Amino acid sequence: MSKQVIFNLPVRDLEKSKAFFASLGFGFNPQVSGDHAAMVVIEEGSIQAMLTTETFFKSLIDKPVVQAKEGNEVIICLMCDSREEVASLVEKAVAAGGRTPHPLEDEGFMVSQGFEDLDGHLWNLVWVNPQASSQ
Amino acid sequence: MNKQIFVNLPVKDLDKSKAFFTALGYSFNPQFTNDSGACMVIAEGSIYAMLLTEPFFKTFIDKPIVQAKEATEVLVCLSCESRDEVDSLVAKAIAAGGRAPRAPQDHGFMYGHAFEDLDGHIWELAWMNMEAA
Repeated sequence: MSKQVIFNLPVRDLEKSKAFFASLGFGFNPQVSGDHAAMVVIEEGSIQAMLTTETFFKSLIDKPVVQAKEGNEVIICLMCDSREEVASLVEKAVAAGGRTPHPLEDEGFMVSQGFEDLDGHLWNLVWVNPQASSQ
Repeated sequence: MNKQIFVNLPVKDLDKSKAFFTALGYSFNPQFTNDSGACMVIAEGSIYAMLLTEPFFKTFIDKPIVQAKEATEVLVCLSCESRDEVDSLVAKAIAAGGRAPRAPQDHGFMYGHAFEDLDGHIWELAWMNMEAA
């Protein structure tokens, strides 16, 4: 079985967060979703994000929950298949109530831009020209 | 191509953090490793962690860096092949200077534990009996 990663992220309003990620085009795994959490499928069988209500998230740790709009512990960087995918995801995120902390960086062989979700968690999207990386 | 993901985490001392994760059995991709960051391979071709020095991490954000020993934004949960892998990784993490924030959870068909790395980032480890699931 291949290695799987699940990012557990606290959210203030689970329904709004589910709507946000749904509008970006991500699907959910209903088997492991409920009133306290929803699993966003990023790559079937390998990469998932678990959106967890703050109350439930708090029950998993012995420290305070970070308010990600005020500070960050992590940037989740997702590789995209094209520069259009990078631009399109950022556009959808902004339309759905997120924000983009910096303009698109275009280095020709590589394009990146990030978005902040409704809770302030940072997602960075990167496309690398596969021909450039093999040179 | 499979989607690839890079978990970017700020660290106070890159060399110590590299030594910590090396002690757990992880390797680094030298092509994407320098004085400001180290690319740790979790699953080749799909899952990586980028350990970044705090000053370098700060260049990517317009907010303060969270001190993960004081508060948590994310739990990075990795699937394991067996209960032994879960236990062994936690034991190695503690021996290398990490801590276990809680006792293991045993649900029979599912077994989980966690460790906190040198900077306070929390890594969850879970094994699930796929036959039971």
